[in-house]
Amino acid sequence: MAQLIKIKVTVNDTVYEREVEPRLLLSDFIRHELGLFGTHVGCEHGMCGACTILFDGEPVRSCLIFAVQANGHEIKTVESLGTPEHLHPLQEAFNEKHGLQCGFCTPGILMTVVPFLEENPHPSEDEIREAIDGNICRCTGYEKIIESVQAASEKMSSGK
Amino acid sequence: MTGKYFGQPVLRLEDKHLLTGRAKFCDDIVIPGMLHAAFLRSDYAHAIIKNIDVTEARKHPGVVAVYTAEDMGDYWKLGPLQVPPPFAIKGAQFNARTLPPIAKGKVRFSGEPIAVVIAESRYIAEDACEDIIFDAEPLPAVIDLEKAWEDTSVLVHDDLPSNMAALVKQESGDYEAAKKQADVVVSHRYVADHVAGAAMENRGFVVNWDERTQEMTVWAGTQAPLPLRSAIAGRMGLVENQVRVITPYIGGGFGPKVMTSQADDVLLPWISMKLNRPIKWIEDRRENFLATTSERDQVHHCEMALKNDGTILGFKDIFYHNTGAYDPYGMTVPLNTQTHTVSNYRVPNFYTEIRMVFTNEMVVTPVRGAGRSEGVFVMERMMDLAARELKMDPVEIRLKNLLKKEEFPLNTGVIGQDFVVGVLDSGDYKNNLEKCIQMIDYEKFRNEIQPKARKEGKHLGIGVVTFTEGTAVGPYEGARVTVGNNGKVSVATGYSTQGQGHFTVFAQIVAEQLNVKVEDVRVITGDTGHFHWGAGTFASRGATIAGSAINSAAVLVREKIFATAAKLLDVPEDQVELCEGSVCVKGHPEKSVSLGDLAGKANPMRGAVEADVKPGLEATAYYAPPHGATGSGACAMIVDVDPETCKVNIERFVLVHDCGTVINPLLLEGQIQGGVSMGIGNAFYEKMVYDENGQLMTASFMDYLMPQATDMPKRMEIGHNVHPSPLNTLGLKGVGEAGALPPPPAFCQAVEDALYEYDLDLTESNLNPSLLYKFKNEATKR
Amino acid sequence: MNVEGEYIFNGPQQAVYEMFNDPTALATAVPGMQKMVQVDETHYEGAIFLRIGPISAAFEGVLSLTDVNPPESCTLNIEGKGKAGFAKGVGRVKFTDIGNNQTKLNYSGEVNIGGTLASVGQRMIDSVAKSMIKSGCEKLQKTLEERCQQK
Ligand code: FES
Ligand code: FES
Repeated sequence: MAQLIKIKVTVNDTVYEREVEPRLLLSDFIRHELGLFGTHVGCEHGMCGACTILFDGEPVRSCLIFAVQANGHEIKTVESLGTPEHLHPLQEAFNEKHGLQCGFCTPGILMTVVPFLEENPHPSEDEIREAIDGNICRCTGYEKIIESVQAASEKMSSGK
Repeated sequence: MTGKYFGQPVLRLEDKHLLTGRAKFCDDIVIPGMLHAAFLRSDYAHAIIKNIDVTEARKHPGVVAVYTAEDMGDYWKLGPLQVPPPFAIKGAQFNARTLPPIAKGKVRFSGEPIAVVIAESRYIAEDACEDIIFDAEPLPAVIDLEKAWEDTSVLVHDDLPSNMAALVKQESGDYEAAKKQADVVVSHRYVADHVAGAAMENRGFVVNWDERTQEMTVWAGTQAPLPLRSAIAGRMGLVENQVRVITPYIGGGFGPKVMTSQADDVLLPWISMKLNRPIKWIEDRRENFLATTSERDQVHHCEMALKNDGTILGFKDIFYHNTGAYDPYGMTVPLNTQTHTVSNYRVPNFYTEIRMVFTNEMVVTPVRGAGRSEGVFVMERMMDLAARELKMDPVEIRLKNLLKKEEFPLNTGVIGQDFVVGVLDSGDYKNNLEKCIQMIDYEKFRNEIQPKARKEGKHLGIGVVTFTEGTAVGPYEGARVTVGNNGKVSVATGYSTQGQGHFTVFAQIVAEQLNVKVEDVRVITGDTGHFHWGAGTFASRGATIAGSAINSAAVLVREKIFATAAKLLDVPEDQVELCEGSVCVKGHPEKSVSLGDLAGKANPMRGAVEADVKPGLEATAYYAPPHGATGSGACAMIVDVDPETCKVNIERFVLVHDCGTVINPLLLEGQIQGGVSMGIGNAFYEKMVYDENGQLMTASFMDYLMPQATDMPKRMEIGHNVHPSPLNTLGLKGVGEAGALPPPPAFCQAVEDALYEYDLDLTESNLNPSLLYKFKNEATKR
Repeated sequence: MNVEGEYIFNGPQQAVYEMFNDPTALATAVPGMQKMVQVDETHYEGAIFLRIGPISAAFEGVLSLTDVNPPESCTLNIEGKGKAGFAKGVGRVKFTDIGNNQTKLNYSGEVNIGGTLASVGQRMIDSVAKSMIKSGCEKLQKTLEERCQQK
């Protein structure tokens, strides 16, 4: 057995201290060590975007990072947004515009869009298209995802 | 047909859980004591196994067990024929060679499993796979379909005289006679290449054998929970109610997840029982490409006989279909091709021949489109070829030959995947096309936009095609609808769901019948513990087949509600009506009983009841169609091609479709748009490439290009036609695959039109910039 | 996959040829080569560690020489196998004295790959092979210079 390394990571405002193998992927750590299953794994090599999380506020692919690299850092996953009872406006918009089907790609897309809308609260359709270009969705054909993000930007800027 | 819920754009009930990361997918299942499996797979596409040495792997710390075919004893058996061939077709030949759960003696495709490691973690299991020494003697691989058919080819199964998996000839009318009457005959060879289903969630399987209760629970990302349950029970010598298959949330299906009796579901239940431990296996993306089934891969030799005015007299199509190394899924895909080659045009004489061949590639089973795509592709390309030969407009020749709505129901004379002669039930194919060209402003494009663009040196082209989608085939589906004591309704069906929105549309059907709120209907899909009859999710049959069964069950429950309430309220049955969540006496809303209370009354706990009691407000119903319902449509796109780089932009995209009655227009759009993205992916991005040694060169998203947001047209303009199917009460037809069918031929036609200076002849359904470039360079300049 | 190319060595043909038949010289020239031992006259066994795109893995294999025609040409046959797949290659090398104490190497060959190497690494393998050959030849040139000096 490889030696274990002690790490301290803040995930969704909770501090976790764990001992992990150096080769453990951050995506596996989030899912299987912390039980936060909302972060999905679609390819394990950085191509699909399903595993996107916020790492110190930046969207990154958690399948390309080792858990040990997250030591001392702050992570946000989809579980940090809304709950089924109180959806985040972005999640509401996805529901209203039918921006998801199987929902497997969705957490990664939401976590890509959250910082995007923070930086660019009134994006154009093209800008949205570019922003989600690295996230693969097999179900929707993207049009309704783009509509969802547009609707979310309106909701969020009108403070609803 | 619209009601309070039925036909309305009801927002999806399942979204809340999916959006917040709370929905439970297969890899989210955790059972105490759970072990993890990893498969070692063959690097060779074709080889004789000499030795598999697992000694070191077994010693690896954390490894619990390692199995090869040798270790399985009598439990090792070839898999079942999941779909039998249709014996109704006279003279059809079929050689069944079903899937070995794990290779024994020989490997026949690269990625075929040769050993399984069970360990305390997936990381350890994968490490231990590397400790296994696999010694094999490579053989030449069979890859080229047409060469594989020849007598001189290397054999995939050396106990067969050739690589022929099937030979099926069907004819309606007399093609050769028709050809003699023809003014022109055009012929051509077309290729529809291999593509992957590539659901974003890979396959997964979790099994737990409970020795104390003698019950096995399986969670699997399957499109066919009941066939899976029966297969596992049969193999394990268990009675069906000892095995419960649960489908958790599934991250897309698109066809390949309908397969059962593969390494995971054969080996892991057996190992779980042996070790008395739960086991999880989650496929990774490379495994998915290598060893999960995929589709297309046909080579067609087509011939069309016509009159000078463009009237089709006959069509002949001999095509090679790659079934891969084995053929457990029978002939579903090529039969679909046969039925879809001529199902929208009047083709009085049609000869079609399937030459299904074994190759050293992964098994071919349906992927969204499922043989229809290939049929639509070759027919539409042949229409273009004929138009060119006759100097006709591509739209004109289509309008001339499209079936008229008065001709339905029309017997096609060709037996399809549901083993019965096809019958086109309804629709207005011509109107689909007319609406489509109107939406895309065909005349204006031809007369104004295109000439102007050409003057400016721009290469704009238009493509217009039509299609049909055979959907909603049998055998049957069923459902049980129950009103609970809290007044809420539960629906259980054996049908499984992968993101299509069934939780919502099924709820809409029931809510409409029982006048309850949609969110008060809880739908359970694909859990054999809740409902244990059904065939599975395939052929765009959910809304129609399962939906019709659910509707019937709901109607029965409504009748029961009326009967029970009338008795309780002491009025004749025709005097009660459904108010929201209750039953009341007509004209006397104060005289009412809530559905919850009524459910309690329908299930008395003491006293005497009638001898033929059917307790509760509950009913079960099944629906079995005589044959499939056929959806139809037309599609047009305008492309802008850069002749230098061969980059193609889709400037406009229009699709008109007819899937009969619409249950939820919002979800319908989602289905079509998703299908379109797959069709566009097929047309210009996706392609699985095997080299001549049978190595899959595209086993990651780096090489297998999935359509991304910027690859899609800005807007998918969708037009609707509604011709309810006469086959079921609700008038439904399927639509799941419609969007995927027309993009490849429309794309080819549009690109040819755009590069008008070249005599371009696009014969492949899966282009990409470099392939297009090659075609362009081979074309002569006009 | 096919590879083809040429390289000009500064040294006499005989010396270049000998170097190509010397396992130790070859072993140091191939990037990632971990060992190379002679089994008999024309067979060598070796181990190599390769990095190709997302794959990095060890391979073990046999190198054999056929059609030996000193000092003009020979054929190198490689068969390697590892956790990440397998590779099989034949390379024909030809040496020509182009005067000026220079020797031209012409090589052409084909490589078949399988396993992860093929399914994930094939896009990169072309450029990896080219860069390996290039840096290999450069190393050999150094060895050649050293050898010539020693003489
Ligand atoms: S799983 Fe991380 S990008 Fe696909
Ligand atoms: S919703 Fe299924 S992959 Fe995006």
